[in-house]
Amino acid sequence: MSTTVPPPDVQPDFDTSPPVHGAGLERDAEKAASRRGFLVGLPSYAYLVAFFATPLLIVVVYSFASRSVRGATVLTDWNLRSYGRLTDSLVLTIAWRSLWIATLTTLVCLLIAYPFAYYLSTRPARIRAVLLVLVMIPFWSNFLVRTYAWRMLLGGDGPFTRLLEAVGIDGVQLLFTPTGVMVGLVYGYLPFMILPLYAALERLDHSLVEAARDLYASGWQAFWKVTWPLSRPGVIAGSILVFIPSFGAYVTPEILGGRGSTMLGSYIARQFIGSASDWPFGSALSVAILVVMMIAATAYFRAGGKNL
Amino acid sequence: MSVLEMPGAGGPDVAEDSLARPRRAVDRVLAGNAWLVFAFLYLPIVVLIVYSFNDNQRVGIWTEASLRWYGEMFGNARVMDALRNSILVAIVSTAVATVLGTAAGLSMERYRYRGQRAFDGLLYLPVIIPDITMAVMLLLFFVQTFDLIFLATGIQFSRGLGTIMLAHVSFNISFVALVVRARLAGLDGALEEAAADLYANRWQAFRRVTLPLIAPGVAGGALLALTLSLDDVVIAEFVSGAGSTTLPVYVFGALRRGVTPLINAVSVLMLVGSILLVLMSLAVSRGRESSGG
Amino acid sequence: MSDVSVARSGPSGATAPEGAERAAAVALHGVTKRFPGAGKAAEPVTAVDAIDLEIADGEFFSLLGPSGCGKTTTLRMIAGFEYPTAGSIRIFGEEVGLEPPNKRPVNTVFQSYALFPHMTVADNIAFGLQMQGVDRAETTRRVAEVIDLVQLQGREARRPKQLSGGQQQRVALARALVNHPKVLLLDEPLGALDLKLRQTMQVELKQLQERVGITFVYVTHDQEEALTMSDRIAVMDGGRLLQVGTPQAIYDRPRTRFVADFIGDTNLLTGTVVDASTARLGDGSPIRIETDRAEGSTVTVAIRPEQLGLRDPDHPRDPALDAVHGRVERLTFLGNATLYDVVADNDPTLRIRVRQGNAPGIEHFTAGDAVRVRWMPSSASALDD
Repeated sequence: MSTTVPPPDVQPDFDTSPPVHGAGLERDAEKAASRRGFLVGLPSYAYLVAFFATPLLIVVVYSFASRSVRGATVLTDWNLRSYGRLTDSLVLTIAWRSLWIATLTTLVCLLIAYPFAYYLSTRPARIRAVLLVLVMIPFWSNFLVRTYAWRMLLGGDGPFTRLLEAVGIDGVQLLFTPTGVMVGLVYGYLPFMILPLYAALERLDHSLVEAARDLYASGWQAFWKVTWPLSRPGVIAGSILVFIPSFGAYVTPEILGGRGSTMLGSYIARQFIGSASDWPFGSALSVAILVVMMIAATAYFRAGGKNL
Repeated sequence: MSVLEMPGAGGPDVAEDSLARPRRAVDRVLAGNAWLVFAFLYLPIVVLIVYSFNDNQRVGIWTEASLRWYGEMFGNARVMDALRNSILVAIVSTAVATVLGTAAGLSMERYRYRGQRAFDGLLYLPVIIPDITMAVMLLLFFVQTFDLIFLATGIQFSRGLGTIMLAHVSFNISFVALVVRARLAGLDGALEEAAADLYANRWQAFRRVTLPLIAPGVAGGALLALTLSLDDVVIAEFVSGAGSTTLPVYVFGALRRGVTPLINAVSVLMLVGSILLVLMSLAVSRGRESSGG
Repeated sequence: MSDVSVARSGPSGATAPEGAERAAAVALHGVTKRFPGAGKAAEPVTAVDAIDLEIADGEFFSLLGPSGCGKTTTLRMIAGFEYPTAGSIRIFGEEVGLEPPNKRPVNTVFQSYALFPHMTVADNIAFGLQMQGVDRAETTRRVAEVIDLVQLQGREARRPKQLSGGQQQRVALARALVNHPKVLLLDEPLGALDLKLRQTMQVELKQLQERVGITFVYVTHDQEEALTMSDRIAVMDGGRLLQVGTPQAIYDRPRTRFVADFIGDTNLLTGTVVDASTARLGDGSPIRIETDRAEGSTVTVAIRPEQLGLRDPDHPRDPALDAVHGRVERLTFLGNATLYDVVADNDPTLRIRVRQGNAPGIEHFTAGDAVRVRWMPSSASALDD
């Protein structure tokens, strides 16, 4: 391999009118770079088109198909019947339940996580790192197992019921109720709220609060006028990160919920698994839930979120 | 912020609050809340682990400590099959997703070309889409595709470990790409220019400079992919076939039938597995900090 | 491989072919760079606008200008990180405009140093040689040689992070120099250092350049740095070359208002041309100034504050000097000198800044004093704009 370029190339009569690159020559070089970048990504994109975009399209197509009497999907009769069924009272009841369970879950998470994240962000760096690891460990642990653990805790002879009985409140059922589902959801998604809040609060310049105090704000005023508005991107990001999976929850209501706590996720699953299968209707429900998610996600990106 | 953005000992220490006196009470409340949150986070895990050593046939009633259910678990062929399936699916899908995701991250962060925004969207969607929707999509896709293949060639494919792997790769590409991309974005672009300036060709620059520097990101992405694959129950439940049950699907199915102490032992096994993965990614992120960049 | 070590003496040495007129180290002809504008309908932004420039072999050449003036883009085009939209870039006569960086006989010292954080100092320095396929023994020898040159002995096994800013700067320099580039490109290499270290490094860098004899192209926004170190300076603004010349020529004879203002402190006087060697200031006083402007047109005259002297107006006038009468408005004590702001008697808009040394025997004034401001006609230059 040659090392440096050969010695100065000397022409007999030195070229006084050097070649001038026409506009566009450099564009060829840049185009080649673009093409390389495209090729680097191509296998991944091809994969996602095949195994993500196409399936997405198929769901949309199925949502316009019909269900035969025996439960099979008929791909010849296209109609909007499945979408019409979205306003059935049963569907509306379930959607409404999903909405308020998801909303309450989000609020409870916010209420718990904000002071927690604030506390975390005001610890010395060393302690902060340890505490954050302690938050991450359950977050990365198996979701199904973590949810299952609550089945034992909330059960009829579990500690919570016993505690309530001990203080004289009898006959309260937590397991297999919407409350139980909510406890599970809060538990499952709390770290989704803590982490963005922590990120927002940690970034906050503490001298801003001091400046507010210097300008005669009380502790609460400083919080409401400075800390809270500056942490709002974290609040929005965390809320959406909790709301999205709660609204579409399937595993948690299956494990901790009962007959009266079916949520949209489980209702969709029932259209595909089990005897009552209705794929077109399940597809229409999936499309509907997807639209809600897209709106929430757009709001998230608007709020300045980037990755997870 | 990212799930993988490990607790960096980031900003400066917050100085002892000079206005401390009136805030002591507030601080105490905050500290109390923090302890409650940690109790909330860890109580279920501790209870689960303790009760998995319970000898009693009924889950909620403590009799005496024993390893009975662990013994039964390792002797249970279905559990062991499911465990093997889970590990196989996780490893294969992680390997494929890591390669594809790293390439996608590079392509996104280091190049500009037309159509990139559409790809960007395609890359983000699998991250935000709910599990149940993804599961439905992939189920319909495999059913439809296998029908068409049967009509065209007479060969009948069926759902199984292969379909689970394909499904896991399709969401894991995105997660790996996001992590790798974040790492690349934090890298001084002049480093790659410096490599080129020092006579490295494109491959050499990638091999000697870019790859070693994004390696912690790639490893972090791979660990995330591994975790997500082992965590997934919804999608696997939909796209698996007979005889291709993964461990979470097995547990989920068993839970629907009722709780048994055996499930406690299996759960603890899964828990220990995922905690080991967390510790590994923490070690990786340590490495990431010390390697700088 | 061996030709590299021959090239040790630098392209300026005996390796240049005999008889031929030697090509410039770097020759830019009509070099233009346009970047696509932000947004869809945006106009492309011209970062560098049809630059013609020849840098001689062995020169310490600086590209000087404010941020966004196109100096860094020019350097990046010479290095190969950007391709010119139009024009020709030659290095020792060889057209390289569209060659990738790894095919160009130049090396770069980056503003951020861009030291590979995952490699030791020695590995960083050896990188370029390894990429060129230089054998191990030769690499070891040359790495050791260049480590001596930049005085980093004993730090070979360290990681860049474990070094101070100044040491990192030396590693960056060594990593480039070890390749014996024909031209070394430096992009604000001292920008990250504190003032004291920067001054030391300026001297060292200049000495180093003289020792290795390699052509340096040095990008900086610091006029003092450019004046101290360079053989020649090109002042850039808005993607154009405004003036190229020795530091002295640029300082003493700025050609445009921008150059006069950007480099050093200056007084700009406006006058009306009387003839090719005379103009009249706003207050009517005639001054001697060489200009090719038409009679009756306006001319801007630049005079450095230290070229002006203050005198008691009662003294007889020296016919060899031009002068303006005024009153001291304010004075600023600088230690070795005092800065006087003088307002002209007949023209309150004419303010002149005079820097007068504080040596014994030099007259001193206080605010409100009437003064005569005088200068050698040769120290005044007429500007083009």
